[in-house]
Amino acid sequence: MSLEPIAFAALGAVVLASALAVVLTKNLFHSVLYLALSLTATAGIFLTLDAEFLAAVQLLLYAGGVITIVVFAIVVTERLVGDRITQTSRHLVNGGLVAGALLIAVWGVVRSVPLPLARPPLPGDVTRAIGEALLTRFVLPFELLGVLFLAALLGAIYFARPDE
Amino acid sequence: MGLQGYLMLAGALFAIGLFGVITRRNTIGILLGIELMLNAVNINLVAFARFNGDPAGMIFTVFTISITVAEVALGLALVILIFRVRRTVIADHLDILRG
Amino acid sequence: MTDVGTLALTALLLPAAAFLLLSVAVPLRRSGRPAAYVSVLFAAGALSSAVRAWWGSTRGGFSLWLWPWIPMEAGPLTSLGVLADADSTLMLVLVAGVSFLVQLYSLGYLADEPAPSLGRYYTYQSLFAFSMMGLVLAPNFVQLFVCWELVGLCSYLLIGYWYQRPEAARAAVKAFWTTKAGDVGLLIGIVLLYRQAGTFDFLQLLELVDAGRLPLAGLGVITFCIYLGAVGKSAQFPLHVWLPDAMEGPTPVSALIHAATMVTAGVYLLVRTAWLFDKTPEVLEIVGWVGAFTALLAATLACVQSDIKRVLAYSTVSQLGYMMAAIGAGFASAGFLHLLTHGAFKALLFLGAGAVIHAVGSNDIFAMGGLRRAMPQTFIVFLVGTLSLAGIPLFGGFFSKEEILGAVWVGGLGIPFAMLALAAFLTAFYMFRVVFIAFFGAPAAPGHGAPGGPGGAAHPHDAPASMSVPLWILALASVAIGVGFAVKHPEAELAAPAWITPLAVALALGGILLAWLTYHRRAIDAGRLSDAFALVRDAAANRFWLDDAFLVIYRRVILGFSRLVGWIDRYLVDGVVNLLSAWALGAGDRLRRIQSGQPQDYVYGVALGVLLLIVWFRWLA
Repeated sequence: MSLEPIAFAALGAVVLASALAVVLTKNLFHSVLYLALSLTATAGIFLTLDAEFLAAVQLLLYAGGVITIVVFAIVVTERLVGDRITQTSRHLVNGGLVAGALLIAVWGVVRSVPLPLARPPLPGDVTRAIGEALLTRFVLPFELLGVLFLAALLGAIYFARPDE
Repeated sequence: MGLQGYLMLAGALFAIGLFGVITRRNTIGILLGIELMLNAVNINLVAFARFNGDPAGMIFTVFTISITVAEVALGLALVILIFRVRRTVIADHLDILRG
Repeated sequence: MTDVGTLALTALLLPAAAFLLLSVAVPLRRSGRPAAYVSVLFAAGALSSAVRAWWGSTRGGFSLWLWPWIPMEAGPLTSLGVLADADSTLMLVLVAGVSFLVQLYSLGYLADEPAPSLGRYYTYQSLFAFSMMGLVLAPNFVQLFVCWELVGLCSYLLIGYWYQRPEAARAAVKAFWTTKAGDVGLLIGIVLLYRQAGTFDFLQLLELVDAGRLPLAGLGVITFCIYLGAVGKSAQFPLHVWLPDAMEGPTPVSALIHAATMVTAGVYLLVRTAWLFDKTPEVLEIVGWVGAFTALLAATLACVQSDIKRVLAYSTVSQLGYMMAAIGAGFASAGFLHLLTHGAFKALLFLGAGAVIHAVGSNDIFAMGGLRRAMPQTFIVFLVGTLSLAGIPLFGGFFSKEEILGAVWVGGLGIPFAMLALAAFLTAFYMFRVVFIAFFGAPAAPGHGAPGGPGGAAHPHDAPASMSVPLWILALASVAIGVGFAVKHPEAELAAPAWITPLAVALALGGILLAWLTYHRRAIDAGRLSDAFALVRDAAANRFWLDDAFLVIYRRVILGFSRLVGWIDRYLVDGVVNLLSAWALGAGDRLRRIQSGQPQDYVYGVALGVLLLIVWFRWLA
């Protein structure tokens, strides 16, 4: 029995279980922690797909950066409120129905179309291929991404200025 | 594991994220649901990239991760600003657009 | 020599130009007398063109001018134009002549009117002249009908000229409604005829009828419907009720419209389409009977009136009945001849009455008296008119009236003949009753009778030149016609029995004698005379309850129907609309809850949409 299906099954289970925990826990801080777990397991999924570079990026940016930002935001608002924010959810049945229906629809589509089972051989060094493509085929979106970051930075500074 | 499994995993993750967006009361909780949905998209992209042999999917993933980071930063900044003005993070209270 | 059609067209367009000028150039119209001069000038031009057109047609001139109006694939549906033949140009002369004289007369009669009102009056007069001429010269039914309606409009406007008086306003509306009832019939008849024949044009229809290509089935209904229009316009029983009330208008208007021109439009219509009516003798019989009955009815009503204009109005109704009776007997030319002579002397009588009213200040003949000495000129012209109406030889109406009596006898309508004979006797009687009461005897005591007209003086005197010149012209015309016919007998269309003429003269003289004995000599007591006919007199005083019958019909039937329709409109039609709008509002109220302002709800909506799209594309498309 090969390692791969087991790894996939385990990681997949972790991803989904922690995701469910994210949306169902009452404590917001616990939700964030479960999100971190889900993102880390996703990095593992990437590894099973031979995308090492992306796994690293996922861990760095997502599980590192995004979680940090969210935690800070909770801390800031939580402190301002003064106590733990307990959450309840609204329209559970409606949301569950729609999400469930969407899930069934997507699964139905996926199952009805023949999809490849075997992976083609790796085209050499994937990371190298990504780097080259980023600066040749996708150089324009790459540069625009820089512009986007600049805009986000300016926006963040503008938002963060103190009230005068 | 074939492509089908990865796609079903991504689909399930997307549905869970959607459920979170629709049901959560706290604005930050809604943002967490959005994170899950974007994560599912990333899994999709990488799986397709691997099974088609084209690294373009992975490059897209790099882009989406970058943009998601920027979006989360600004989104949370907005949440904090709204909190300063309206003294609430409960999404139900932000209904000025009510018709 | 200019073409007859051009001359007729000029006569038609000159009043139209006057009307347009006066209606557009508001300062000119408001200035009063200058507007009047403009209108009179154009009317004079129209008269000269009309006379020349008629002169040309007597020398065999004939003209048909058409301009296509409503286009259709196979030629125009109908045209506008001018059909100038002997009949129409003769009628044109009558219309233009009386119109010109009346406008001239109005300069004096309405001298006291405020300037803007006077301008309005002459604008309406010009419009009327144009409409009537357009009717006379119409080459097809459509133009005839359009001008017919225009003439009715002008009648309404002119009867209600003093619209501040409620009686005048009511009379104008009554005239409009009553003639409209007949006009509906006319329109139906025209449309039915078009359905049968495929054309509106008179000449084409004449061709069809002569060639026998017009199916006779249903033609009776058509001609009867057309006759209904004449019933309304020419005041035949039972639609005669508007004409006496129309006397609320100024006297020149009564002379023009309700004596010489508009009311004769119905007679003219029947004369114009005589070739059509000849094919339906049963309808002609109805025309004859109704005409004779109207003549007698109106004559009896005239005997009990004390308002001089009312007497003349009923007299007009009676004479119109004469004309219709002649047409009904099958001799349309006799009716047409009487139309022309009657136009002259009835206009004369009305204008003379106007002079009297202007001088005395009242319409009541019992407020007058001894005017023979106070207004000698007016007395002479009025006497000329009365003798013409009574049918004395050497005066205008004698020959035409005799022709009608002969025509009705030869046409085989026995009882109508008797009715007409009795009406002739009564005509002479009531006209001379007026003459003896108003012009002879002692002047009435001051304060007797209510003031009815403009002006008014303690010492009546003859009218100014602007009023007396038209009077003399018309008087001379009446005498000229009378003498002319006596000298040069036109070839008789019918061979009347020889005893008709003496009978006619005897009836007239008998009526005059009775009036002389009763109202001048006082040999017969007027009270006892009227008591002898108490039943008829009382019925006549109530106008035979016809007006009351119409009022009841109006109140119960028409207004009741209107109320029903109004109820349906308010509750059913509006109800449906209101219901729909209430539904829309209710739906909007309920649907606005989708706009909750919560972004999560909108995400929910988006997710639903995506779900539906997936389902549709995957499984349903």
